[in-house]
Amino acid sequence: MKDYAERNRALLHFVAVPTILLTAGLLGGLRIDAQTRQFVFIAPPLVTLVLAILLGSLFVRAGTIDLRHWLSVEQPALTNLSHLLTLLALFFATAQAFNSVLPETGLLHWMFCFFFLWTLWTNQFSTFDPRRLLRSIMVLFGTAFVLKHLFMSAFSAPDKGWLRTIVATFLQGISVDVPAFAPATGYISFFALAALCGGSPPDSTCSYGIRSGSD
Amino acid sequence: MQRKSIQIVGVIWTLVYASFIVWIYATEPRSFRDVATNTQVATGTYEINQEKFNSGLTLFRRDQFRAAREEWAAADSAQRDPRTQFYIAYSYYREGWGRTYYDRTLFTQGLAAVNRAINLDPNRQLVVDDPNLQMHKPAELKAELEQGLETSWSDLNPLKLFRQRK
Repeated sequence: MKDYAERNRALLHFVAVPTILLTAGLLGGLRIDAQTRQFVFIAPPLVTLVLAILLGSLFVRAGTIDLRHWLSVEQPALTNLSHLLTLLALFFATAQAFNSVLPETGLLHWMFCFFFLWTLWTNQFSTFDPRRLLRSIMVLFGTAFVLKHLFMSAFSAPDKGWLRTIVATFLQGISVDVPAFAPATGYISFFALAALCGGSPPDSTCSYGIRSGSD
Repeated sequence: MQRKSIQIVGVIWTLVYASFIVWIYATEPRSFRDVATNTQVATGTYEINQEKFNSGLTLFRRDQFRAAREEWAAADSAQRDPRTQFYIAYSYYREGWGRTYYDRTLFTQGLAAVNRAINLDPNRQLVVDDPNLQMHKPAELKAELEQGLETSWSDLNPLKLFRQRK
């Protein structure tokens, strides 16, 4: 029984978590063109890498990621390598999650970037616990997701639904440059965010995900 | 021991999957079919659709150049076959050729296609043995297309009206 538990834990730490995080990274930059229904791959812009670093430093500050457990001279090189790859996968997944919820171009892109930067920067200097941090991050991503994939996509939708009417009323007189993506893009983004959350669970009692595999 | 082997598998799998993602973003496939084609190109098993190529050739010989290009584009969707790219370039040449003028847009597109053919055949070994063509090497076609795009006083030579399409 114990063998099974040990093996499953190892599979989770060293195979499942990096896979889930890399999947988040893969899906985060994927869009579906509204007209041609073709894939559009958008590499993470520089600002998303900055945001990912800020978020990563918040995780470290909050103790959600204890780097001494992740990378240590007392651990075998293979374990350190495995942990390093998982951390890189987490960084990539986070950058792509930002990429997924940020509008691609225009004023809205910079507005969203500003709000993310502001929130993450001010959090660098406040005291908090890991659960609260993860909750606030989820709210941040959730809000951006709703704004981009429900609110803004309704604006560029070809059919005149009630949501589009509301959005158009809100943004009357404002020129909004929103690239048209198929509704499937919203689903892909949702799964990317879900994969990121799955790869980095907030539960401190759970010893997988962004907690070290050697715990 | 088991934990160590799982770690090794995890590291290898993570590196392979990460490489796959980088490759996907580098090649930017537009559909699952593109993913399959790019995989064939990467593994060296890519082959053109011969049926579509032949269909394009038939249309080309009937001077239906646009239709021929459509067929060839479908035959060589990854644009990796120098012979098909040569024919595509040739179709641009023939369509753009005129007794009194050359269509610069078509010639430019033809030049891009012939450059692709040349890049795909770095040893310059491609010789298209087709009796219906008067130029058999990409270099000849490229020179002809480049000449057509150049503007010079010789363009005013009235004897040019008697020139023949190659």
